[in-house]
Amino acid sequence: MARRYDSHTTTFSPEGRLYQVEYAIEAISHAGAAVGLRTNEGVVLAAEKKILSKLLETSVASEKMCKLDDHVAVAVAGINSDANLLINSARLFAQRYAAGYSEPVPIEQLVHHLCDQKQGYTQFGGLRPFGVSFLFAGWDKSSGFQLYQSDPSGNYAGWTATAIGANNQAAQAILKSEYAPSMSLNAARKLALKVLKQTMDSTILMPEKVEMCEVARAHEVPSEKHIRFRMASDKELEELCGLANSATLPTS
Amino acid sequence: VEAKRESRPARGAPQNPLLAMSIMSYNGAAIIAMVGKNCVAIASDLRFGINQQQTTAVDMKKIHKIHDHLYVGLSGLATDQMTLAQKFKFRHNLYKLREGRNMKPETFAHVVSNVLYEKRFGPYYAEPVVAGLDPVTGEPFITGMDLIGAMAPTTNFVVCGNNEESLFGVCESMYKENLEPEELFEVIAQCLLAGVNRDCLSGWGGVVHVISKDKLITRTLKGRMD
Repeated sequence: MARRYDSHTTTFSPEGRLYQVEYAIEAISHAGAAVGLRTNEGVVLAAEKKILSKLLETSVASEKMCKLDDHVAVAVAGINSDANLLINSARLFAQRYAAGYSEPVPIEQLVHHLCDQKQGYTQFGGLRPFGVSFLFAGWDKSSGFQLYQSDPSGNYAGWTATAIGANNQAAQAILKSEYAPSMSLNAARKLALKVLKQTMDSTILMPEKVEMCEVARAHEVPSEKHIRFRMASDKELEELCGLANSATLPTS
Repeated sequence: VEAKRESRPARGAPQNPLLAMSIMSYNGAAIIAMVGKNCVAIASDLRFGINQQQTTAVDMKKIHKIHDHLYVGLSGLATDQMTLAQKFKFRHNLYKLREGRNMKPETFAHVVSNVLYEKRFGPYYAEPVVAGLDPVTGEPFITGMDLIGAMAPTTNFVVCGNNEESLFGVCESMYKENLEPEELFEVIAQCLLAGVNRDCLSGWGGVVHVISKDKLITRTLKGRMD
């Protein structure tokens, strides 16, 4: 029955479903997991790298994380080439906002803009939707630290902690029991990797298989100039993976 | 290059055939950039005037930071100067996000030139001065440009503003090659203050940045407040 209504994005099925959008969301559940946690000191994003090869040139560009502006970053789950397009659009939007308003773009506006773009591909043009889910981590003056999740349908929501990609239900379950909004940034980093360890296929967490970044305060005073995006260094990842591998999770 | 246009008197006001204003002298500015030994210095005055006669602010810096080793100074019409500064920041931010590194001064100078030439037949009334160090080698680079983007890179100094002749004169007399940062600061500061003294459209103090690989010296100058 579904086959008749699933070829065109712009067609509802008799049960009121948009099959192409659902298929896009399904595509992301095969992608590398990404998890995000928000604390009062900053937002942490951690992700599992799927493309691993000794022959790969690891340059500045990362597979899963991307900086959109000094105060906001994303973790990607899904088709990377689709993500690149949206990331470029987000960067342009952020810069145009900054040029017009002389202040950094508020996070929700950026998320909203990107999601409006994604939604357009579910309603007009007959083109397939973007096969990408994002986790946005950022800070702005009015709302402080924020974490958002968006999916191919163009829906988005703000979260205190969430996960996307492979095994995200398992990740969300762990976060539900272990995450506390009053956590320190350090504790959040450790928990992020603990969660990844549980959702990834391997029994031991290798630092080469994960990426982590954060948008956090550089100094005590949370002014715009002191918020910065930072990718975790190899050394830091090694340390945190070591901790995750030796720690035992409480039985839920 | 000076773009002259007849200023239109207010409706009903008596016509004054002697009143012809150049749009480049509406606000007033003076900027100098100099090359030293492994360092560059860029200085500007602080006056902001409206319609030539009225001084409205005395803390208007015409120099904008692009990154730690690259600064751009803009003279001419203040509104164009502000808009261009935002445009350059926009371009550099995107470059930095995509390339993962800061722009070299020469590259940035070409971006500035391009942005100005895009408006070849309806230009921004601003003349920029770019001063910076290569982020990798630390080699100094300065260039001046006219309002439609013709670059004039030199190895000694560039000036721009309302009183270019005076600024050229003092720089020619006082500039020496291979000055250390503190010496360069002295020279550029004295050149700026001397250069703006004969110009009623620039002055009211100044600001100087001396950029070396590991250090930045920024100082405000006190000059004749007139």
